[in-house]
Amino acid sequence: MALKNLEDVLKAAKNPVDLLRNSRIGAYVYPVVPSEFSNWRDEQAAWRKSAVLFDQSHHMVDIYIKGPDAVKLCSDLAINSFANFPVDRAKQFIPCSYSGHVIGDGILFHLEKNNLVFVGRAPTANWIQFHAETGKYRVKIKNDDRSPGNPKGKAVNRISYRFQIQGPNAWPVIEKLNGKKVPDLKFFHMSTMKIAGQKIRTLRHGMAGAPGLEIWGPYKDREKIREAIIKAGEQFGLRQVGSRAYATNTLESGWIPSPLPAVYTDERMKKYRKWLPANSYEATGGLAGSFVSDNIEDYYVTPYEIGYGPFVKFDHEFIGREALEKMANKPHRRKVTFAWNSDDVAKAFASMFAGSDEHYKYIDLPLSNYASASFDKIVDKNGKVVGASMFAGYSYNEKSMLSLGIVDPNVQLGDEVTLVWGEPNGGTNKTTVERHKQLNIRATVSAVPYSKFVRETYAAGWRTGT
Amino acid sequence: MAAHNLSAVLKEHGNAVKLLRNSKIGMYVYPVVAPEFSNWRNEQVAWRKSAVLFDQTHHMDELIVEGPDSAAFLEYVGINSFANFDLNRAKHFVPVTPAGHVIGDMIIFREREDKFVLVGRAPTANWVRFQQAVGKWKVRLTHDPRSDSRPDGKAIYRTHYRFQIQGPEANKIFDKINGGPVPDVKFFHVDWIKIGSRRVQALRHGMAGAPGLEVWGPYADKHYIQTTILQAARDVGVDLHLVGSRAYSTNTLESGWIPSPLPGIYTGGGMLQEYRDWLGADSYEAVGSIGGSLATDNIEEYYVNPFELGYGFYIGWKTDFIGKDALLKMKDQKNRQKVTLEWNRDDLLKVVASSFEEGVPYKWIDFPQPNYASTNADVLLNGKTPAGISMFNGYSFNERCMLSLAVVNADVKIGDQLTLIWGEPQQTGKTSTEPHRQAEIRVRVSPTPYSRDARENYADSWRTKSGK
Repeated sequence: MALKNLEDVLKAAKNPVDLLRNSRIGAYVYPVVPSEFSNWRDEQAAWRKSAVLFDQSHHMVDIYIKGPDAVKLCSDLAINSFANFPVDRAKQFIPCSYSGHVIGDGILFHLEKNNLVFVGRAPTANWIQFHAETGKYRVKIKNDDRSPGNPKGKAVNRISYRFQIQGPNAWPVIEKLNGKKVPDLKFFHMSTMKIAGQKIRTLRHGMAGAPGLEIWGPYKDREKIREAIIKAGEQFGLRQVGSRAYATNTLESGWIPSPLPAVYTDERMKKYRKWLPANSYEATGGLAGSFVSDNIEDYYVTPYEIGYGPFVKFDHEFIGREALEKMANKPHRRKVTFAWNSDDVAKAFASMFAGSDEHYKYIDLPLSNYASASFDKIVDKNGKVVGASMFAGYSYNEKSMLSLGIVDPNVQLGDEVTLVWGEPNGGTNKTTVERHKQLNIRATVSAVPYSKFVRETYAAGWRTGT
Repeated sequence: MAAHNLSAVLKEHGNAVKLLRNSKIGMYVYPVVAPEFSNWRNEQVAWRKSAVLFDQTHHMDELIVEGPDSAAFLEYVGINSFANFDLNRAKHFVPVTPAGHVIGDMIIFREREDKFVLVGRAPTANWVRFQQAVGKWKVRLTHDPRSDSRPDGKAIYRTHYRFQIQGPEANKIFDKINGGPVPDVKFFHVDWIKIGSRRVQALRHGMAGAPGLEVWGPYADKHYIQTTILQAARDVGVDLHLVGSRAYSTNTLESGWIPSPLPGIYTGGGMLQEYRDWLGADSYEAVGSIGGSLATDNIEEYYVNPFELGYGFYIGWKTDFIGKDALLKMKDQKNRQKVTLEWNRDDLLKVVASSFEEGVPYKWIDFPQPNYASTNADVLLNGKTPAGISMFNGYSFNERCMLSLAVVNADVKIGDQLTLIWGEPQQTGKTSTEPHRQAEIRVRVSPTPYSRDARENYADSWRTKSGK
C-alpha cells in the first residue's frame, strides 16, 4: 500500500528517529547556484574583507499569503509579536508546536496590505499552508517550492529572484548601483532602490555590523540585475558566492538553519501529520550525527534554546503559548559556537590515508553537514551529554572548524567539551555516510556570533597556541 | 578593438604562459551532473567493488565527421593507424601538431564507412574543424560543444546522452537491460543492445579487467535509459552507484589516462599560425587556464609528445599524417615516460593542517579533486634537478592515497622518490587560487595504472605500455 502522508510513513517505520537517521534522500543540497564562482576560500574571505553577492533564488521555499486574514494567520502561528508590523517591515518568523518546540523559522515580509511572503525552509512553509487550508482564515496561499536539488539540465523557474549584497563594502556597491545615496534604514525595514534603471525592493540586512541589503524581483530579471551588481561591485572587490561557501556564512553569524521540526509526536499534531505528504521534507529529510535517542523529542529544541527567547511575546494568542509560558522562567539550554580543536580535526584527515577500518567520518570542507538536520553529541569531562552540535563547517576567515549548537545552562563559555564526530556502529544507511569510526574532537565553547568573541575575548586560547 | 582570435589575444597578453596562468575562467568544471549522488567516497568504492553509472553526457565535445573522405581525412589529421578500423569499432584518436606535440585526444567511433563520431575535450574537436575548414576534403562536420559549465537554472540540450556502466558487477546488469545475453563484443568494439524498449549502440569498454559498456543515443531518451539501467541493477541485486561530478574525474587516477595535456599550438609558424588566427578569442585554447608550480616563460615546456603519454604504439607509420616527420625524429630520442605518483601522507597532511593555522596557508588541496585549472603542471624535482611534470591530481578512497599522473624523465625508475612542488610561486590572476605558500611534497614513482587491480587485470593496452 502506498503511504500517503507523514502519519502513514511513521506508522510503517519502527521509530521516527530510525526513519530519519536512515533517510535515503542524500545531502541537503543548495541547488542550481554553481558550487564555486572563484574558490570557496576567497569567497568566504570576501564577506569579511570586501563584499559578496549571495544568490538566494533557489534554496528556500517562498510562500505567498494574501487576504484580509494574512497577518492574523501568521500571528496565530508565531511566537513573535505582531504589534508593530506595518507594511515594509520584515521579521524572523518562528512558529512552534503546541508543546512549545520549534517548527522552523525564516523571514516574513510584509509586502503590502494583506499581502505577505514567508521565505525559508519547507517545515515553516508547510505549517503555514496547513493552517491556511484547514483553518478559518480568509487567505489565499501560493507555495513556490525551492528549486530541485538536481535539475538534471532542465530549466528552473521561480517566481522571484533573491540576492543579498553583504560585507564591509556592500554599501558603496549599493550606492553606486542606485546612482545616489541610499538612506540607511533600521534592520529588517524595507524600502526601494534603483538597479539598472529598475525600481527594486530592498530589505535592510547586515553582517558583522556592516549594513547590507536583500533585494528581490521577478525571476526573469535575475540575470540583468545580477550583471549590474557584478559590474558595480568590481571596484569594491565584490565576489559571487557559490553553493559550497554559501551555507557556511552562518557559522560566523550564528543562525542555526536546520532545527528538526517538532511535528513527529503529540496527538495535537496528528491532523498535521495526516496532511503532510509522504514526500514532504518532514517525511523524507535526513537526520545525522552521533546523538542517538529512541525518542524523537530529544531532538526538538525550544525557541529559548536557539536564541529566540527575546522574540517570544505573550501579547497575542499563538500555538504553543501555553507551553512556552510554563517554560519561560526555567533554566534553558542555550546557543553557542563550538570551535573545534585543529589537532583533532587533523586526525580525521589523517585517517583518509590509513587502513579502511581506521577511517573516521569524512569532514567535508567547507560545509560538513551530511543531512537535512544534524545532531552531534557534546559531552563533558565525565562523559555526560551536555549539549548538541547542529550545524558544522569550516571558516577560512577563522581558520577553524566551527559548529553551532546548544549546551546545558551550567556549561560556560571557554569550557572544553568533546564533540563526538560520526555515527555509532559504523554509521547509518544514509547515502551520505561511508563506513566509519567515531572520533572525539575537543571543542571550546564559544560565543555566538563567533568572530567578535574571538577577536575581543579569546585571543589567547588553544587556537593561538598559548 | 576586442581581440577576435587567439593570435590577437596572445598579442594583447604578450606571452601564452602569462595569458593561461592568469586566466579568469575558473575551475575546469564537470557540468550539469550532480556533485554527489550518494557521497564521493562510496561512489569511488563502487567502481572497484560493485558497479557504477558514469553520466558522460555533458563534459565532452562531440564532433560528427561524415562524407566520402572521412576516413582519409581523419587518418591524415591523427597519428593513429586506420588499418584495422572496421565498422563498429572505436579508437583512441590522437592528433599532434606539425612539430609533433599532442593537441589532445578523443574517442572516435566508426558508425558507418563514411561516418565517425568523436568525443572528448575541445582542443581536438577544434583542430579537426580547422583542418576541415582549410583542407579540400569531402567531409561535413557537426559540432556539439560540451554543456555550459554553470547552467545556473537554464535548460541544457545535447545531441546525445552518454553513459558508462562499469565495475566488477556491471556485467550482471547487461543481460537484464538487454532482455537476454548481450553479444560478446571485444574491447573497444561496438554493437547494438537493447535497453528496455530502445535499441542503443554500446561500446565494449572496461575498467580493471571487468567488462563495461558505454552507451549513447538521442538526448531525449536520457531519462528513460537511466531509469531503465537503475531498475535493472535493482532487479538483479547489484549495488549500482551513480557517480557525481566530484568523484567522476578521479577515476582516471586509478586507470591512468591523462585528460588534460596542453594543446601544443601556441608556438610555431605556418599551419599553426594559421590555426591561431582561426581559433576564436573565446575558444578553450584562448580562455583555458594553466595551474601549478611550473612557471616558465616558454609555453613549449608545457607540451607533451605522444610517446610521453604512452601513445607511441598508436602511430600508423605507413600513411602520411600531420606531424609524422617530427614524430620520426622523436621516436628514438629519450622520451619522458608516464607514471603515477603516490603522494607522501605526512607532507600532504602538513598542507591540510596549514588551513587550521594562522597565516598564509599552503595551496588548498580539495578532495577528491585538487586540480584548479584546465591544464595542470606541477614541477617535479629529483633532488634539485627537474625530473618532470605532474599533470593530473586526485585522491583515491580505494587506495587511501593522493595520486597524480605525470611525465618524468627517462632515467626515473619505479620506486624513486621525487619532490612535487605544490602551489604557485606567485599569486596569479586565476580565480581558482587563494593566496598561498608553496609546499614540497615527497612523491613515490609508481606504475600506471596505479591500482593493483587495474594493473593486473587491464586489457594489454596503451594504459600499460611504456613510452619507449
